Amino acid sequence: MLEIKNLKASVDGKDILKGLNISIKPGELHAIMGPNGSGKSTLANVLSGKEGYKISGELKYEGKNLQEIPIEERAQKGIFLAFQYPTEIPGVNTSNFLRTSLNKIRKAKGKKELDALSFIRIIKEKSNELGMDEKMLSRQLNVGFSGGEKKKNEILQMKILEPNLIILDETDSGLDIDALKIVAEGVNSSRSDKKSFLVITHYQRLLNFINPDFVHILSNGKIIKSGSMKLAEDLEKTGYKGIK
Amino acid sequence: MLNFKINSNAIEKIGNFNAKEKEFRLKNLDSFNKNGFPNKKSEDWKFSDLREIVSKNFKKLDLKVVKTDAQKIKFIQEFDHNYIIVTNGELTSSNFKFEEKNKIKVQNYLNNNFINKQENNPLINLNHALSDKGYFLEVEENYKLKKILVIYNLYTNNLNQNILNCKNKIKIGKNSELHILEYTINRSKKNFFNNIYENVVLEQSAIYKNICIYNEKSFGYFHKYSSNKLDTKSSSTFFIFPSGLKFNKLDLEFDLNGENSECNLQAASYLNHDDHQEIKTRINHFAPNCKSFQKVKNVLDSESKGIYQGKIFVKDIAQKTDAYQLSKAILLNDDSEFNSKPELEIYADDVKCSHGSSSGSIDEDSIFYLMSRGLNRQEAIKLLVEGFLSEITNEIKSNSIKNFIIGKLEEQLHEHKKN
Ligand SMILES: Nc1ncnc2c1ncn2[C@@H]1O[C@H](COP(=O)(O)OP(=O)(O)O)[C@@H](O)[C@H]1O
Ligand SMILES: [Mg+2]
Repeated sequence: MLEIKNLKASVDGKDILKGLNISIKPGELHAIMGPNGSGKSTLANVLSGKEGYKISGELKYEGKNLQEIPIEERAQKGIFLAFQYPTEIPGVNTSNFLRTSLNKIRKAKGKKELDALSFIRIIKEKSNELGMDEKMLSRQLNVGFSGGEKKKNEILQMKILEPNLIILDETDSGLDIDALKIVAEGVNSSRSDKKSFLVITHYQRLLNFINPDFVHILSNGKIIKSGSMKLAEDLEKTGYKGIK
Repeated sequence: MLNFKINSNAIEKIGNFNAKEKEFRLKNLDSFNKNGFPNKKSEDWKFSDLREIVSKNFKKLDLKVVKTDAQKIKFIQEFDHNYIIVTNGELTSSNFKFEEKNKIKVQNYLNNNFINKQENNPLINLNHALSDKGYFLEVEENYKLKKILVIYNLYTNNLNQNILNCKNKIKIGKNSELHILEYTINRSKKNFFNNIYENVVLEQSAIYKNICIYNEKSFGYFHKYSSNKLDTKSSSTFFIFPSGLKFNKLDLEFDLNGENSECNLQAASYLNHDDHQEIKTRINHFAPNCKSFQKVKNVLDSESKGIYQGKIFVKDIAQKTDAYQLSKAILLNDDSEFNSKPELEIYADDVKCSHGSSSGSIDEDSIFYLMSRGLNRQEAIKLLVEGFLSEITNEIKSNSIKNFIIGKLEEQLHEHKKN
């Protein structure tokens, strides 16, 4: 699904990713842990196509060179990023936006666009599963949402857009335990042998609920250690300093 | 360069006037001839050098407009309304079928106020000297119109290097209420100049709501000065969607003369190409306990220019004034420009006054967010622009009118993108 080899990325001459390797197969869930500033969000941004980075190395998604695919096409081809800090978009209705987005993606896949009514049925069902207040959907996109509401709204989009490669950038940060369980449940119920996950997190907390297949430690722009869930447990005890 | 001096016999050509009026017109013509079209040296025109703009775009300015046959227009179907049709500034038809007769008076406007107040706007002088058309609209006391009044401002396709000088007056009696949609239909394919002078009088507890929109892109060069006088407890609300003209300057003055009167003005525009648009407001808090509110939002695309000059004046006796002003602009292109000049002049000590202005390019993080959900860059920008402007349209209370306006604005955005 995703093949990253010796990925380097810099911004304004500052090196952030310094030779990163990772390979994710369909159905797998990989967790990336790492201290603040280690380059986690940069990796997520590079994968979804954010501009402004100087990039070298190999980036392959479903066998194709990712660097040649523009941002919106990556989304249309099934890459989804749940943002660490979802952007507030004033004046844009959350539900209308979601429908626009879903129909762009459906159209690209050669599927029929959804009419307003069928869409409302889907969005009601999915938002209920996430315990979201329906009123939120008629509000402006992310504007004035609490931290938890923003994260849930990202998960809602993930559920509706049905992507293949899902990157969660610290979706668990700032969530209380109930919200965390709901998000984890959202992830677990979306898992299938066709979908892959890259879950960026600080804490073992979330991983306890979602059982990663692999855990990687990112430090200073490189993966310094990879392992199983055990690695996350060790990390919780020793901190990043204890990992060599 | 165009010779801006206008011969005094131009006045005789438009009508026979009594001595008093003739003197008034001549005096104003003199003032105009002395100054000509204002240029950027004048403080009020420092962002809109009208002399240069007129010289660049007009070879002549013809006062005489050839009359055309009655013109068909497409009436708005989306909501019931009364209407008047104003063709090239002249009242040509009216219909108040939803209202009680004799509560509303509408007629050709004849100025009968010849007090020679010193005007420092040459375009007002020009209007006083040469105005020969316009309407007078009056709502009697204690009458609330049941339906909105649409003023179809039609400009015909035989306009070519003409200048129109129109004078309008609206008077709303005590406890009465009038909602107007000023809807401009422009069929002219050639440049013309339109110089409007408007007088609005709100008596005690009168309510006035005005929405103004220009139907499609045109070659009009418009200047409008509007004087609004508000008596005790009266209120006026303006929604202005001024884009669609080559040049548009709206100079709006509000005198809050009576206690507890209030005015609320909101504007949203999308400008493109070399559109030049200025909104200038002056709010005079002359009495205590009055409220004023202005919010002006502009989106500026290639080589367009937007200006907002907003002044709030608070007289010493106008305690408990509540005044708010905000202008925001998004620049989509390096060649576009937005200028704002907020001004406060406050002589009372117990007032709440706030003002702010911001402008900047569109937020790249927002674009990235939307693109990461499958929208291309242009679609993302369009959504952000509509969202930015919708803060104003969403304030319109009537759903049918709101949707009508949103539809028109979307057309404008779409239209402009095509060009
Ligand atoms: N646009 C940028 N310009 C300059 N420095 C940046 C930029 N984006 C990220 N960085 C820097 O790169 C490092 C990694 O950032 P980030 O990927 O956000 O880390 P993480 O998500 O792991 O906390 C940080 O030191 C950050 O300050
Ligand atoms: Mg981060």
